Amino acid sequence: MSRLLARVATFTILVLAALAISAPFLWIFRGAFSASDAELYRLPPTFHPGNLTGANFGKVTDQVPYFRFFLNSIIVSTTITVCQIVTCATAAYAFARLHFRGKNVLFAVVIGSLMIPIQVTIVPLFLVMSKMHLTNTLWALILPGIFSGFGIFLLRQHFLALPGELEEAARIDGAGHLRTFVRIILPLSGPSIATLGILCFTYWWNDLLLPLVMISDTDRQTLPVGLVLLAGRFSTGSLGTIAAGIAMAIVPVLVVFIAAQRYIVQSIASSGLKL
Amino acid sequence: MTTTKAVPPALGRGESPRRRKKKDGLAALGFLSPAIVTFLVFVLAPTAGVLYLSFYDWNLLSDGTYVGFDNFDKLVHDDRLLGVYGSTAYMALVILMVNVVFGLLLAVLLETRMPRWLRGFFRLSFLFPFVVSASAVALIWRFLLNKDLGLVNYVLGLIGLDRIDWLGSSAWAPVSVIVVNSWKTVGFSILVYIAGLQAIPAVLKEAAIVDGANAWTRFWRITFPMLSPTIFFLVVINTINSFQIFAEPRVLTQGGPGDASRTIVEYLYDRAFGDFDLGYASAIGITLMLVLIVLTAIQFRLSRRWTFYE
Repeated sequence: MSRLLARVATFTILVLAALAISAPFLWIFRGAFSASDAELYRLPPTFHPGNLTGANFGKVTDQVPYFRFFLNSIIVSTTITVCQIVTCATAAYAFARLHFRGKNVLFAVVIGSLMIPIQVTIVPLFLVMSKMHLTNTLWALILPGIFSGFGIFLLRQHFLALPGELEEAARIDGAGHLRTFVRIILPLSGPSIATLGILCFTYWWNDLLLPLVMISDTDRQTLPVGLVLLAGRFSTGSLGTIAAGIAMAIVPVLVVFIAAQRYIVQSIASSGLKL
Repeated sequence: MTTTKAVPPALGRGESPRRRKKKDGLAALGFLSPAIVTFLVFVLAPTAGVLYLSFYDWNLLSDGTYVGFDNFDKLVHDDRLLGVYGSTAYMALVILMVNVVFGLLLAVLLETRMPRWLRGFFRLSFLFPFVVSASAVALIWRFLLNKDLGLVNYVLGLIGLDRIDWLGSSAWAPVSVIVVNSWKTVGFSILVYIAGLQAIPAVLKEAAIVDGANAWTRFWRITFPMLSPTIFFLVVINTINSFQIFAEPRVLTQGGPGDASRTIVEYLYDRAFGDFDLGYASAIGITLMLVLIVLTAIQFRLSRRWTFYE
């Protein structure tokens, strides 16, 4: 009896939590199809096909260069992710497998860099970028994101956990470090590299601060700032249009997320993040 | 004349450790160079820049003039700064608690026996807000938390509660930031917990069940100690992250009313790119860096008392 009660309580909490998380998304999707502000705010929310319209989506692209924002976001996040994986994986290999002087000091520096987030250094970063004439270009958003102390730490932990026998065998066959790294370590590290990739991509995809500081041309903005512009400076006052813009930003993420869900969940779940 | 026969190079195993260390040194330089270059240019140089700028009166129009400790003097006399740090710390602490405690609760509940697809569905729905941009999330919640028309107050009304001025009152504005940020981030903590829970050997739990330990005892005697490194990781990461919040207050409340929901990053941003007082903003940046270093150091020190490593 008490077991049954515990099960009922468990599922009640889980279902309530899932509902609390999905309801805002469902509400904004419905809002995106509302013909008027009154319809958007109709309480309780109801579905009358007569009151719904797809016109809001067209208005979004009329008001702001929406696809440009989207493209910029893709370019920035993808480039940072690829570069970050390369710099983190190579450095992590050195920390996990090579013997060299000053290793412990360098690794302490890597860990220390976790405490200096970009929010702290944003002012000099802006000055450096503007002296290099890179402000107002996507480079200003890409370059500061490439180094990641967290990424190096994450991958190093994984490389340390890999069994050494294969590398030993490769070494005897005369393979150098580069070959060992590319042919043995990398193929064995799919999940942890995927985890880093996902965390890196989502962080920079979501970032609002850096584009707000670095970019002044509307055409070069990323999606997070684009949405704020759509809801603020470029708003015509139609709430349905804002809702449509938000929905358009979420749907592609949702599609990719569902398609890659097993991989995303598995890779983070199997990476065993701990200190 | 003697001819020396070429000696074949020794294989790794036969080399002396010192020679190996030297040879690895070059390889290490090669492997580390991309990280070192990006670190020097985009972390170390700007960090030095923050220190340098904090001694200057610097606006965007002219290069600065040296003002000694004036900016730090200003820090001490800035009445708003302490208030902003107070609201930042308040919001950060609650967000941290929600992530660490509520995240653990949901992760443990997800361990219950259930069909695979259902578990998959729960995991997926918990994690999804984490991949949606904070500005989209905050914009959605700006609708939902609207005092007169929002869905949240409507639902509260259904269960007989009064309307709450979520975004306009100084008591509730920080709560709104807490709710929205936690809502977005808790899924990631849940997933990290799930990984930690899966790594606990089943043998331990089975042995405890055989010994007749109930679920409560099993949690505190086995799950919690085995999970402590994961909990520690989440405490450290969530502390650092929750002190860097910017998008939620920016979009939801603009930090208001007053400074009730203003975070330190927002305050820094406004000093730097609103007032163009780059020197003072840099001094604020230094305080944030010190706060993070001190907090992390304390956490590492305290962790020795409660984390358990096999």
